[in-house]
Amino acid sequence: MTLLFPFLLIWQAVGAPPAKVTASVRRIFGAEATTSPLAAGTDTVLRVARADTLLGFALVRAVKGKDQPITFLVAIDTADRLKDIDILVYREPYGGEVAYEAWRRQFRGKSAQDTLEVGRQIRSISGATISVNAVTLGVRRALQDLTTWHKNGAIK
Amino acid sequence: MSSALRSLTVSAVVCLLSTISPRHVTAQESTTLGGYGEIHYTNRSGRNTPAEVNLRRFVVYLAHTFDERLTFRSELEVEDAKVEGGSAGGEVALEQAFLDYRFSNTLTLRTGLVLIPVGIINETHEPPSFNGVDRPAFDNDVIPTTWREIGVGIVGALPIAEGLSYRLYVVNGLVASGFSDAEGIREGRQEGRNASFANPSLTGRVEWVRPGLRVGGSFWYGGTTAGDTLLGTGTFKVPVSLISADARYDRGALSLRGVVATIGVSDADSINALYGTAVGNRITGGYVEGAYNVLTFLAPRSKQRLNAFVRHERYDTQADVPAGTTRDRQFARRVTTVGLTYKPLFNVAFKGDYEVRRTAAGGGVGAVETLRFGIGYQF
Repeated sequence: MTLLFPFLLIWQAVGAPPAKVTASVRRIFGAEATTSPLAAGTDTVLRVARADTLLGFALVRAVKGKDQPITFLVAIDTADRLKDIDILVYREPYGGEVAYEAWRRQFRGKSAQDTLEVGRQIRSISGATISVNAVTLGVRRALQDLTTWHKNGAIK
Repeated sequence: MSSALRSLTVSAVVCLLSTISPRHVTAQESTTLGGYGEIHYTNRSGRNTPAEVNLRRFVVYLAHTFDERLTFRSELEVEDAKVEGGSAGGEVALEQAFLDYRFSNTLTLRTGLVLIPVGIINETHEPPSFNGVDRPAFDNDVIPTTWREIGVGIVGALPIAEGLSYRLYVVNGLVASGFSDAEGIREGRQEGRNASFANPSLTGRVEWVRPGLRVGGSFWYGGTTAGDTLLGTGTFKVPVSLISADARYDRGALSLRGVVATIGVSDADSINALYGTAVGNRITGGYVEGAYNVLTFLAPRSKQRLNAFVRHERYDTQADVPAGTTRDRQFARRVTTVGLTYKPLFNVAFKGDYEVRRTAAGGGVGAVETLRFGIGYQF
């Protein structure tokens, strides 16, 4: 029961169904990954571990697309490198291509020092420019926040 | 960890109890207001053609999200600034007004006044999204933008491979009596106003997307009698069939795009005999455009864009004519446009271009050069 609470918090805050968060964490960190919640600022960070080994952290947030929120997850490893992102809920009629693996994989291995910018490190998708810019900005901020919290011990 | 979890659990319980109605991002009912528009300065070559300025489009975008599954979207447009009784010109029109019911990523049911999913400009026409003050001439005379009709359909991702998506609609048909030699099927659109549903027509599109690349293929098929029994009876009588392909490619400072389309009007002879027109039974053409963001070497750190572009269009609204109709070569057009698009922000564009128009008729028939400036915005 208590295990469900962090997911309900995340659901409340950014509209990510618990099942999707769980599936995303398992996809990125492996089937044996377990999560526990950590409060950081106003966010709930998921600490991801396998048995006693820390694997990394995941943060779920939402950014505004053309007129709807896009709910996404950003996962980092213990060295603060971005492991992967997931688009958990997409609600617009156009621009859903940001969920494609071919686009998402550009973020892998990036760190907070990388200036993630559309047209430079991140290639755009014609016809999905608003979503591409929104998600890229959201990921950049999430990566910076996770890195800061991890470095100053707010999450460990 | 366990104490952290315990305190979080307590706060979570308090939080959940204090908000009886959850404030999910997902469940929020919301209304969105947006818009786009463009103002043009146009100066055509030749005597007695003074320059003209025009508030070409002013569009209000209004959308409402009822819940996670049901959304409404609309665009209300004023063309040429005003409409006044007794004087020609100007238009107030709905460009889109439809309801979406989302079942899943692969299936959304869409009904209402929808944009026909053909080519590039018809569905994506916000002025900062394309180079050139005016839309390509091809997107007026061959693909009749902004083409919208009333119907019902499905849209979504195609689960067979990542990057594939589709749209498929059944909408009201075109009306043959509006077809012309110069503008093909353009004035055959009904645009949602007391539209005849005598010829339900099929239209659809499949798209494949990779980072930097979007490729699409579209079609339209349907009858055009609109209940005029002199032209024929039957849903698919006097059919128009359209096939189109398009591609957009972006890499760093470079962007390329191109569209080709071919339209068959198989009973153009009957149309011409009945309405006294000279409609071609084949309308065909396309364009290619290349643009380069020159700020990447003028000001490499800048996030603004200054696109230098060139576009070449070739199309013929009488690529083939039925027996009994004389082919007029002035409808075989070649349009070359060079210009600049300055975008200080993604949503705002200042444009200037020079267009050279020639026809296959020779002797200067249809030869026009045009200088244009324009501003465009969206939000």
